[in-house]
Amino acid sequence: MGSEPPALELEGVTKRYGETTAVSDLSLAVERGEFFTLVGPSGCGKTTTLRLVAGFEAPTAGTVRFAGTDVAGVPPEDRDVGVVFQNYALFSHLSVGENVAYGLRYTDLPDGQSRDERVAELLELVDLPGMADRDPDTLSGGQQQRVAMARALAPQPDVLLLDEPMSALDARLRERLRVQVRRIQRELDITTLYVTHDQEEALAISDRVAVMRDGGVEQVGTPQDVYRRPATRFVAEFVGDNNVFAGEVTAVEDGVASVRVGDATLSVGLSETEPVTVGDRLTFCVRPSALTVGGGASRFEATVESAEFLGETTRVHLDWDGRSLLLGTEVVPEGRVSVGFEAEDAHVVEVEER
Amino acid sequence: MSGSRTGRDSLPETDASDAEGRAHRVRDAVERRAIAAFAVATAAVLLLVFYYPVSRVFVDAVLVEGAWTLRVVTSVLQDPFYFGPLARVLSGESPVAVARTVLAGRADLGIVGFTAYQAALSTLASVALGLPGAYLLARYEFTGRGTLRSLTMLPFVLPSMMVAVGFVATFGSEGTLNALAGALGLGQVDLLYSLEAIVVAHAFYNAPLVTRMTTAAWESVDASAVETARSLGATPLQAFRTVVVPQLVPAVLMSATLAFVFTFGSFPIVLALGGYQLATVEVFIYQLIGDFSYAPAATLALVELAVSLSLMYAYLRYEARQRTRTRGARPLPRRPLRPPDWSPRELLPRVGLAGYGTVALVVFALPVASMLYASVSGPTGLTLEHYAFLVERQTTGAAFQVRPWPAVRNSLVFGAGSLAMALPMGVVVAVLTTRDYAGRKLVDAVAMAPLAVSGIVVGLGLLRGLVFGVDVFGTRFVVDGALAIVAAHAVAGYPFVVRVVAPNLERLDPALVESARALGASRVRALLDVELPLVWPAVVAGAAFAFAISVGEFTSTAVLASQTGEYTMPVAIQRFIGRRLGPATAMGGVLLVVTAVSFVLIERLGGARDGL
Repeated sequence: MGSEPPALELEGVTKRYGETTAVSDLSLAVERGEFFTLVGPSGCGKTTTLRLVAGFEAPTAGTVRFAGTDVAGVPPEDRDVGVVFQNYALFSHLSVGENVAYGLRYTDLPDGQSRDERVAELLELVDLPGMADRDPDTLSGGQQQRVAMARALAPQPDVLLLDEPMSALDARLRERLRVQVRRIQRELDITTLYVTHDQEEALAISDRVAVMRDGGVEQVGTPQDVYRRPATRFVAEFVGDNNVFAGEVTAVEDGVASVRVGDATLSVGLSETEPVTVGDRLTFCVRPSALTVGGGASRFEATVESAEFLGETTRVHLDWDGRSLLLGTEVVPEGRVSVGFEAEDAHVVEVEER
Repeated sequence: MSGSRTGRDSLPETDASDAEGRAHRVRDAVERRAIAAFAVATAAVLLLVFYYPVSRVFVDAVLVEGAWTLRVVTSVLQDPFYFGPLARVLSGESPVAVARTVLAGRADLGIVGFTAYQAALSTLASVALGLPGAYLLARYEFTGRGTLRSLTMLPFVLPSMMVAVGFVATFGSEGTLNALAGALGLGQVDLLYSLEAIVVAHAFYNAPLVTRMTTAAWESVDASAVETARSLGATPLQAFRTVVVPQLVPAVLMSATLAFVFTFGSFPIVLALGGYQLATVEVFIYQLIGDFSYAPAATLALVELAVSLSLMYAYLRYEARQRTRTRGARPLPRRPLRPPDWSPRELLPRVGLAGYGTVALVVFALPVASMLYASVSGPTGLTLEHYAFLVERQTTGAAFQVRPWPAVRNSLVFGAGSLAMALPMGVVVAVLTTRDYAGRKLVDAVAMAPLAVSGIVVGLGLLRGLVFGVDVFGTRFVVDGALAIVAAHAVAGYPFVVRVVAPNLERLDPALVESARALGASRVRALLDVELPLVWPAVVAGAAFAFAISVGEFTSTAVLASQTGEYTMPVAIQRFIGRRLGPATAMGGVLLVVTAVSFVLIERLGGARDGL
């Protein structure tokens, strides 16, 4: 982090609608040129947060800053943001070109560029050259999404806000478009706040993600951080498939805790920052890919319930004394099997002190 | 398929079950053809009491005293009395010279021109009175908003003669407005029998239509679109102008077109509030019929039909081009009507709305209230004598005098009769127009045509074609006046049954009927056992509609009543209106109760109300 203030900063922001609190005491900072994603289940406050940044809603408490400047009371039209909505909100009474040019009515164009040139340039950028005269309703969903993107970018906003821009598209198209969105974002080096409920999309596209729940942030970090080192049980279960275990610590030795889970004692690798003592209640998680049949330092017997062939891997559903577990494997086991994992593949998410 | 039954039929069995099998087969055959049979019956009724009489009217225009001629048509078209300056152009004068006299303000518009002029003024008034209402309903939240929104449908069922009585009771020389003015020491005003009265009464009818259609368009504006515009640099006003207005304009234009069509062909209001001095085409046709001048009447009816049909065509073309975009639309949030603070920005629009509310109260509520008040007030204070007068079995009075009890009785009997006719017709047409097949559009157009044809023409056609008698293969075929009125009402009312029932049928999952058919039900059984039970509220609403239309119908009834001696409440009101306001307002009260009950039924059970 340099001395430059973050491009976008929220500090202690709360938004209440009557009795319900949509966002509570939320703080985060997005650096210049960063692709920052808010991810969480529906109703977690991610869209409200984006609307607070855009200026469509005013926070009940807290401060929103753009490049260090408090924007309280600044209307959306003066915030220099570009917004893409889930339904694109294309103006159906205007052509594609007029849609893209809409924001140029209210801004000065850079160095003598004409409006038409700017529109053509943006349609080129989103891979829709020559579509200016089309009627937005005649475009496919993916094309509409890109027009919305071009329209938002045309007036050269400081911050791009994308509110679930791909959730109305099919899975295949979504994957292609997110590569394109990312390319455009890098090309323009534009600070971007992205909202999605799709954790896979969030991991694939972002520099950093904030996992949200009930109006607050559970964890902020790089996709790798969030995936490998979930800070809470919620993050562990929300981001990717996971097996979550909880039990009492019976011994701590050489950075490895022995945890009693059911009939088994499992070895869990501890990081240096976590002071764990005997008697604590530990919650930890192990990715399905880290569970192995017949191997691992910690082992227990489980029953194979069913298997889903997913192509790259097969997801096996296991039952271990009433606990449902997932195991990723290429060879599908059957019946009663010995399952295990290495201590370093276990990640502690919660420590409840005795 | 009905596999089990055919299977049993093929077995050699005893006589008893053979007879049973035959009965089954007959029933199956009847059921299989029931819808077709009903369709044929409906078509026959339409042909007999609508298409034949209406075409008879138009033949009247060119078949004068047994000879085919265009003489009457051309003489009407070239008569400045009807067509004003246009007639002079049609009769060969230089358009430039004619235009010069028009611009100099020395040309009389003629009857058609005046009709268009008053319709244009009425349309402007309706839009002016309707738009603030749409703003209020679409953008503000308050208690009673939903009720107010559904009340915008009320004019569809309010009998125009009742409204006319209300206006007389409000704006007449002894009306509430003059009573108020007198109490305040102001001079007498008489707004009746003036263009203003007609225009305001037309606005009473059509402003709610403008409000209704514009509100629907406003509510379908996507808040994301407005927010996008804001994020792209538009101020709230600029976003309104560039994003919201373009989405409202089609609705305003369409409702204005409808208002123009309705007011161009308005008859009862003009007759009751304008009199013959301010005759529009319809009123003049009525007058011509009274003088037995059928050929010019028919020509004028043709002209009127041409104007309204071409406007309706333009309307439908335009409507078809308007795509309804509902995908993911999030409506604009409504503001509370109570201002959150006392800043001018919050206060100003609400003060405007308060002013609008006052005007709306005078235009919409005062006439109804004045009518009810007048119906229970006499020279000595409050009284029920006007209502008592309605049920007296008057024994005295000359034949030409209007007796109230027969009017009340006829209205209810005719209402029930036309309901019995309109309901099956409407349901059959609804079934026929909600299925996909080639020619469905044609069936729809043929079935809905009665909506576009003036009651004057229908009434005149029934009178000339059926009531006066017609020779069919040497047999004289005469229809009773009462039956003709019932038929006219049924034809006027059944399109509304279709309009209420069809959208509800359309919304049913086709798999329901298919499941029933797969389980062995015939098409008509599926309709009776599955579809109609599911849409019964709409059927009841359609019935209420048909009844209300019949009870309130004036135009065709007036034409038929003029020559048959049968009359209904609206006709009686029109005859009472200038002479005895008391009974007229009491009848208005009865009509109000009937239509209010119908309205509540339609409103509660109608379902797809925006389709109207």
